[in-house]
Amino acid sequence: MSTEYRPHSWPREGIVLGVFAVVVFAMPWWLTWIGGYEALATKIVIWAIFALGFDILLGFTGYLSFGHAAFFGTSGYVAGLMFLHYSESIIPALLACLVVSIVLALVLGFLTLRRTGIYFAILTLAFAQMLHAAALSIFQEWTGGDNGLTMSAQPNLFGLPMDGLNVFYLAAVLVVIGFAMARQIRRSPLGLMLRSIKENQMRLEYTGVNVMAYKMTAYLISAIYAGTAGWLMVVYEPYVATKFLHWSTSGEVVIMSVIGGVNTLIGPMIGAAFMMYFENVVQSEIGELWKLVLGAIFVLIVIFLPGGFVDGYNRVRKVLGQKVPSRRHNVPDSPESMRKLRERGRTAEAGRTD
Amino acid sequence: MSATAENAAAAGAGQNQAFLSCRDMHAYYGESYIVQGMSFDVPEGGIMALLGRNGAGKTTTLRTIARAHEPTLKQGEIWLAGQPLHKMNANKAARAGVQLVPEDRRIIPGITVEENLIVAQVAPGTGWSIEEVYEHFPRLAERRRQDAVTLSGGEQQMLAVARAMAREVKLLLLDEPYEGLAPQIVQEIERIVEHVKSLGITTVMVEQNAIAALRLADTAVIVDMGEVAYQGDAQEVLDNKELREEYLAV
Repeated sequence: MSTEYRPHSWPREGIVLGVFAVVVFAMPWWLTWIGGYEALATKIVIWAIFALGFDILLGFTGYLSFGHAAFFGTSGYVAGLMFLHYSESIIPALLACLVVSIVLALVLGFLTLRRTGIYFAILTLAFAQMLHAAALSIFQEWTGGDNGLTMSAQPNLFGLPMDGLNVFYLAAVLVVIGFAMARQIRRSPLGLMLRSIKENQMRLEYTGVNVMAYKMTAYLISAIYAGTAGWLMVVYEPYVATKFLHWSTSGEVVIMSVIGGVNTLIGPMIGAAFMMYFENVVQSEIGELWKLVLGAIFVLIVIFLPGGFVDGYNRVRKVLGQKVPSRRHNVPDSPESMRKLRERGRTAEAGRTD
Repeated sequence: MSATAENAAAAGAGQNQAFLSCRDMHAYYGESYIVQGMSFDVPEGGIMALLGRNGAGKTTTLRTIARAHEPTLKQGEIWLAGQPLHKMNANKAARAGVQLVPEDRRIIPGITVEENLIVAQVAPGTGWSIEEVYEHFPRLAERRRQDAVTLSGGEQQMLAVARAMAREVKLLLLDEPYEGLAPQIVQEIERIVEHVKSLGITTVMVEQNAIAALRLADTAVIVDMGEVAYQGDAQEVLDNKELREEYLAV
């Protein structure tokens, strides 16, 4: 297993982004070959943006938010209200969604990021559920309560109606930009600080770093991705369901990340595609059983492939004799990585210099 | 008294008395009362050995000075060259020049040796450049692109000290720097600590190997049950068999 880091190369980056863009833009076609349809491609790409942003928080910093629906849903409502009451142009709605996501992230981040682990997860879940409850009660007049926010709007971009493939192309452009940005963040000094936070937050604090500021930055970026996805979802389908704010939406993005492979960026997007495909295509074949089958797949992946699909891909590459990154990057508690860490500790105790 | 006046007064006191001055520190881990009213001074530029039996409160004292999240300092003051450390959190104390090399988890795993040094230079107040670090620690230069977790125990200790030196360090706090290391590595760490001293940096060292620490130190503080049992010359402790037997069991 390689312990040396691969230096960054722009040609390689160009190839990775180019291949990614081709696969994404061709999705409406290749998806039909496996039983999918055009509109499903749009949904997949929107959820991929959500999952990608989620990986910047969970994958990079290790903070598991169980309340990311707060950003997705709030943005959805803001977009809906903008289309209803202000303009059917998608740009003002996007700006409003970004502002609201940022403000909400600053408030929730300030209240939740002081805690870690299960406490952070529970706090984020609680705040998101409070927003969900508020949408069904005190804000009912604006949100439409249980019925959701329905509208007959036709969102447009400078007069171009945003429907069918137009929404898909908009979402596809944004996911490619989002992927390129996330890869850039991972390589940047900010990415290094976030990885260090994940590994040893206190150690970083001892070097004079204001850890809270970095955690907040990751949280904000993640919220911006989630907010953008929420906005896109309403552009795609001018209807806001209360489910957008529900904990099950937060849960879905967590499952997508785990299935695909946390801290790999591509993994959570593959996870999003897999989940959406299951929910929309497999369901039509096997009916309500799909939830049971998906649950079983999730359990099997957590037990046998804790690093998700990307972990599976890397294992195959390893069998083929290729160099693969250490598993502890996306499977921090894998038995293999823990055993190696323990051995390292024993080596240090024995005073060997190996 | 205004904060500025307070600082000036303390700076004056620092010039006359000590570089690091701990006054009546009371520190707790939750409900556990560990540091029970400790006061001691550390002169500038020297090495002080902080000694005592297991559970005496040595590491807690060091972590209190570094302003770690835990323990909580409920009473007392800590002044470093006129700066009130007791009013700071860990990152502000680090910016003020305090560098703690903890007993465990010294390095940040999952990132390379060089990245461990880079993160130390992000906050304002940097010391040695990374190239300078490599001049002093050639072994780290050889392993700059390796995941830091793959280093041996001794190398990890070197990296931890190197990372402290990559900051503008005024007070180096070493917690059990020799723990689990082979004798030749201990000698190497000793040379590094002596070199740090030659640069005029003040060091406080907690070490189970009391004799080794005392040979290196100028002054010593012996802690017993969370209180200062002795403060004075390191040589005096080495010479005083009774004192060593009573508090250090050596």
